[in-house]
Amino acid sequence: MFRDIPIILILSILVFALGCENHYYDEHLKMEVQQLDSDLENRWSTSGVVVKAITQNGPADAAKLTPGELISYIIGEYPIQSPREFTRAVKKAMADDNNMLLYLKGKQPLRIAVRKIGDKVGLEVEGSGSVRIKEIVPGTPAANSDVIQVGDVVEKIVDERKIHSLNDYKKTVNEFSKLNANLTFRTTELIGVKIAAVTALGNLGDARAVESLIEILKNSKELALRKAASRSLERLVALSELNPLFQQFQQENANQLPADTLDSQQRESAEILGLLLTDPAANITTLEAPFGIQFRHRSEALYQKVNEGALVELAEQYIQITTEPEQEIRRACLSILGTLSPISAIEPLIKVLRDQNEIPGIRFQAGLALSQIGTPAVDALMTAFNESDTAAKDIAASALGTIGGTQARDFLINALETTDDPAVQLTLVDAIAKIGDEFALSALERQRQRFQEDDSAIRIFLDEVFSSLTTPFQ
Amino acid sequence: MKKIFLIFGLALFVIGCGNQNEYLAKGKELIKSDKRRKEERAVREFKLAIEQESDNAEAHYLLGFYDSQEFYEVDQSAWNQASIAQRGQHMFKAYQEDPGEYLEILIFDTLRDDDVNVQKAALEALTLVYQKGDRKQLLKQLQKAIKSKDNRDRHDAHWVMANIGTSDPTTMVPILIELLKHNQVGTRLNAIKALGEIGSEDAIPILAALIESGSAKRKRDREEPEVRQLAVLALGKIGGKAVPELVKITQNKGSSLRVDAIRALSTLGDEKAVQPLLDALKEKSSREVVVKLRN
Repeated sequence: MFRDIPIILILSILVFALGCENHYYDEHLKMEVQQLDSDLENRWSTSGVVVKAITQNGPADAAKLTPGELISYIIGEYPIQSPREFTRAVKKAMADDNNMLLYLKGKQPLRIAVRKIGDKVGLEVEGSGSVRIKEIVPGTPAANSDVIQVGDVVEKIVDERKIHSLNDYKKTVNEFSKLNANLTFRTTELIGVKIAAVTALGNLGDARAVESLIEILKNSKELALRKAASRSLERLVALSELNPLFQQFQQENANQLPADTLDSQQRESAEILGLLLTDPAANITTLEAPFGIQFRHRSEALYQKVNEGALVELAEQYIQITTEPEQEIRRACLSILGTLSPISAIEPLIKVLRDQNEIPGIRFQAGLALSQIGTPAVDALMTAFNESDTAAKDIAASALGTIGGTQARDFLINALETTDDPAVQLTLVDAIAKIGDEFALSALERQRQRFQEDDSAIRIFLDEVFSSLTTPFQ
Repeated sequence: MKKIFLIFGLALFVIGCGNQNEYLAKGKELIKSDKRRKEERAVREFKLAIEQESDNAEAHYLLGFYDSQEFYEVDQSAWNQASIAQRGQHMFKAYQEDPGEYLEILIFDTLRDDDVNVQKAALEALTLVYQKGDRKQLLKQLQKAIKSKDNRDRHDAHWVMANIGTSDPTTMVPILIELLKHNQVGTRLNAIKALGEIGSEDAIPILAALIESGSAKRKRDREEPEVRQLAVLALGKIGGKAVPELVKITQNKGSSLRVDAIRALSTLGDEKAVQPLLDALKEKSSREVVVKLRN
């Protein structure tokens, strides 16, 4: 009992001494690593050490490690050339976590795990230069695997070590370097940081962010990050659309303007985005500090950048389900196209509208974007109506109703008078009612005559439409 | 509230019941009853009590406590008199008549009430104490409250200190900074929150040091994660000159507070944040790197 005390004392001093440091210069790799913040582990279930600085021309530099990378695993490979090496490698590999990867020539790598430290793996080997399995001990993990056979050539043993602390790092690198193992570092991306950065860049409304966000949306392998990028781009586009409004403030070089000198629609959008506040009684619109005030200086640059074309091109691609499987991103891209309303988007949008593999909500959103484009989209919408399934007819008719104008109106009236599909009739009535001019109303009146005797849904709907048109305030 | 009545009851007992203001007694009776609109009727009694005896501390306090604009038509004179500011004046008057009694009641009792307007009236009264009353005693009591074992007291004290500190940071900020050394986490948390709400740039270096303490060599020198996280939020509230500090945190790749700092920057809208954030996006993603050791 008592003789243990000095050992415990020494150990605790050792632990204390080691635990104190939170930087470490690794002489083997010629780089400085740093312990993660004490509380970082709990937050993103990450662990490891961070590369702090790298000495030029050292092994770490040659391997192209970069400062800031988080090393979470160190993987050592032991080439096996003798039975002694085999025994030692197995012992080492099993030491920490009771499992290892065994590479046999011509076979898939095999994970071998024992229940507790000291348990035998159950393999005997022979040979020198190249080592073969001599014996498989019955009742061991090796015997339980039906892959291993006597005579198999052992290529190497791979040991994966999870790195929790600076001590783990030191111990593992020292051990591996002594054993002449080949080292691989597996690094972890702190995805939370990037998502936060992407979101922040969307909020900051700065033109410089556009290219980076496009790049992430196109090339990142992290879905969560791509989603965040699409949301941020959507916001940047929404912000850029307010440029005329912010230019008014910029020209006056003021953070306050009379509310009635500003476009009311833009003012409301900006209010929803939290950029300004309007006091209707005093007729004063004030830019909100800090962002609204800061943004007026950046608005023009953002507007230019957003309208350079790259963003539209990207959105036109990524609204297609064949390109982008994630619906949230497709939705964001649809919203971008709706806001920017480029003529070039008509064709890809019609494709989405007609795509029967697409979910209805997104097809509908494509219709919405087309109605935002307005008159130039009328021809394409009419064609879509004539050629497509009921769902697409529905959306196209609704979009045409929103756009309005003589051409759309006459087309819808004609369609209503010639179709027999009750579902389509309902949509058409609704669309025509939205246009609501004299011609539209008389067309609807004609329909009411036509279905007078009827007790169908369309009659009831027509009655409703008329009662709401004649008593608009109820 | 029961506690208050108990205190009052005892106090009155000591003074002797003989000369108690009749209206005051009636008003208190009403409050205790379950009559309809009892507060509204009690307030009428308290007003009469003050008419009769303009220096009655308890009547002033109770009027400040129970009066409400809901009782009156908008823009009536009684409506104006029931404003938060006026109610605070009454509470302050009670304090003036009996400082020893009412300072403690205001801080440890009135602030606790569920009614936000009562809390605001108490804040108003305490602000008046700060301006016209015994400032030293007030600060002493507030510090006692923010050091209390009771979270509610700490929170109330932080709220009052933040509000007073916003109009007079030179007195309050050093007190709050001193409180960051207190051994109770809850006290430090509330002091930091108050510093953030005051928004004084004087607090920036201290907050920055506290955040940085997470990487200190010895564990006992490290501030608790939640306190450090709140310190980042406080820097975000201070804004302006705190931006470079926040940027520094986002650039410290070993820091657990990068996300918090980035979020704080995103609401500040400062242009200086853009480039560091773009740099963060360029950091390497997960990968495997083969290293050749030289022997």
